[in-house]
Amino acid sequence: MFSSLFRRGLSRSRATVAAALVATSALSLASAPAYAEMNWKAADGQTINLMLISHPFVESLKPLLPEFTAKTGIKVTYEELAEQSGFEKLLADLSSKTGTYDVFMTSPLNNWQYAAAGWLEPLDGLIANTDKTAADYDVNDFIPSILSAGRWDLTPLKGIGEGSLWTLPINFESYQLAYRPSLLKKLGLQVPKTYADLLAMSDKLAIDGPNGKMHGIITRFDRYWDLPYLTFGTMLQSYGVEMLDKDGKLQICSDKSIAATQDFVTLIKKASPEGAGAFTWYEAMQGFASGQYVFSLNEANLFAPTYEDPKQSAIAGDVGYAPTPLGPDGKRAAAAWIWSLSMNSASTHKDAAWLFMQWVTSKETMIKTHLAGNMNPVRKSAWDAPEVAKLMESWGETPGQYIQAAKTEAEVATIRFPPHPELTRMLDRWAEAIQKSYFGQGDVKTNLCNAQADIQKMLDE
Amino acid sequence: MARITAQADKTWMSKAAFYAMLAPALILLMSTTYPFLSGIYTSLTNQKLYIPASKFVGLNNYINLFETPLFWNGLANTLTYAGAALAIQLPLGLAFAILLDVPGRLQSFFRSAVVLPLLVPPVVAGLIWKTMMHPQSGVLNWLLAQVGIEPLSWLTSPSTAMMSIILIDTWLFTPLATIILLAGLQSVSGEVVEAARIDGADAWQVIRYVKLPLLAPYLLLVALFRVSDSLKSLEIIYSTTKGGPLDATRTLHVMAYEEAYRWSSLGRAMTIVFVLWLVCYTISGALLAFWQKQEAKNRGL
Repeated sequence: MFSSLFRRGLSRSRATVAAALVATSALSLASAPAYAEMNWKAADGQTINLMLISHPFVESLKPLLPEFTAKTGIKVTYEELAEQSGFEKLLADLSSKTGTYDVFMTSPLNNWQYAAAGWLEPLDGLIANTDKTAADYDVNDFIPSILSAGRWDLTPLKGIGEGSLWTLPINFESYQLAYRPSLLKKLGLQVPKTYADLLAMSDKLAIDGPNGKMHGIITRFDRYWDLPYLTFGTMLQSYGVEMLDKDGKLQICSDKSIAATQDFVTLIKKASPEGAGAFTWYEAMQGFASGQYVFSLNEANLFAPTYEDPKQSAIAGDVGYAPTPLGPDGKRAAAAWIWSLSMNSASTHKDAAWLFMQWVTSKETMIKTHLAGNMNPVRKSAWDAPEVAKLMESWGETPGQYIQAAKTEAEVATIRFPPHPELTRMLDRWAEAIQKSYFGQGDVKTNLCNAQADIQKMLDE
Repeated sequence: MARITAQADKTWMSKAAFYAMLAPALILLMSTTYPFLSGIYTSLTNQKLYIPASKFVGLNNYINLFETPLFWNGLANTLTYAGAALAIQLPLGLAFAILLDVPGRLQSFFRSAVVLPLLVPPVVAGLIWKTMMHPQSGVLNWLLAQVGIEPLSWLTSPSTAMMSIILIDTWLFTPLATIILLAGLQSVSGEVVEAARIDGADAWQVIRYVKLPLLAPYLLLVALFRVSDSLKSLEIIYSTTKGGPLDATRTLHVMAYEEAYRWSSLGRAMTIVFVLWLVCYTISGALLAFWQKQEAKNRGL
């Protein structure tokens, strides 16, 4: 069903399924009582500390924490910070090896540095240990490619999906074009199928709303790696741009990249308000939910539960979802972001930390978080759960529209970047070139080629 | 013989006392010198947070830094920020201090009120102002609209962001200038003022020719505090613009923070920090030298 993002791990997963089946039958013969030894109270009385990054997932998790404490006797404390400050604080703690945070939210991208430094606890051994992992945990229920994106063998620029498992996924996002059906009707416009369609309508989107002038497009556009990696990255990839080509050569100032960047800058200049060059994902989500925009371009599809919740949004019931537009050659590609949990190798409560991780990522807890707004599911059983399906079915202009858009996107969503501990520095530099072009400091080509030269130096170092 | 021993004991005792009394100063010196020197050493290596082993790279970090256009932009931003903070806050603080020095029924109320911003942590102040400066939903643009002025982009446009953070800095730190200068004004002896009055000086002349010259050391103190603080400022900038939009508010301190905590590069971060220290040291030194020259001139008169 979710082929591209999901297919990458399939061949491995078949092997794993087979191996697991053998292992299970062997265990059931030889050491069946071993299951009984997995004891949820094994770390009774301990306290673990989490670093959480503000996200709908965290909102869905907080009310469930008392259930975990009741089940295990483990107390959970946490710090919750915005994304950039959270990652910065986490880096300071991980590098000092004080073990302040036993478990933290992260992603494969961040883990390329953390794993290289030895700050992460590898998880395969824990999952395989029947004394520590519940019999019904079922690691093969994770969508294989999403799980295997958390594997890396520490080889720079390759080896993603190989080697140790550093992290367990808790949700994944791809991107979508969200729109306001009522406004499009008023404007007499159709949902654009291609970036060319969107560009053609970009100066017709100004419209008067109840609270003053409304704008055409909102999307995040800050000077940080998420721009070329995720949202605008989805547009870049649909134009056929990848950071490195097959021969390992940088493609940042290729003709396709220049064309995509020029079109993006034009879109933002024509259809976004003054100040668009400083929007983070949070401002993009809030901005669209406040009802001031016609389109939310290539933003995370997991914002849908926020848009659909009348308590958090002014547009509930008036949102439509479409796959991201097609590139010039009719191609669609998309980025993927996987929020995950990893364990600090300097943690002094590893047993308690593991109990927490397996509890959060268990089938039951995952479904509970999905029902409270944590999207999109990373377990096959959660996609199949009738109550989750029913909830997602209700989102969109027509029933099932969200699921349809999310599936179309997942067909082409994947991580197309080379694993490298300094990838975020490189992508920050790339984002700077895009921003410079938007703010009129130099032309697109010069800016991108300068960035490419700088990034080549970082790769050579 | 006994006397000699007693004398030796005494020398020993006084020597011990000498070193014991010196110890706190030595410990203090060590605790500041060691991190400083180890910071300089780090700036000569390629140390990264995620690679334990580091290599000595000589002056490479410095050469790379000076070759980056962003560094010169950062230096200019740092000096603009500090210069503007001083140029606005010193006269403004003085004006407030003079007004608060006038006896009146509401004096104590205003004195407490003026100190309030000092009680707000800079990060919190940054976040409050960021909300107020939001281009679409902020109260400042709403107020501007009430008097028919076009909305400003405040923190979100490269042309207004620096001005906006200086405004926040001014709101937060002018009270510091005010209370120091007010203390200075009140330390001016009543007799001097009375003598001037008898000589026929009006209120303005008392301020200009009596109080201001006596206030000079306080003005210098404020200048020193504000310049060294604003050269190192991070909280306001990081909580509002994080150095953006683009590079409009990216000061040296922000750049050093990013090197260390976004990109894990301690060596490069320390390089920037050391350059920033040199800038602070030079400017503070110049201010102090200027003061000493003035003092000497005054004594000469």
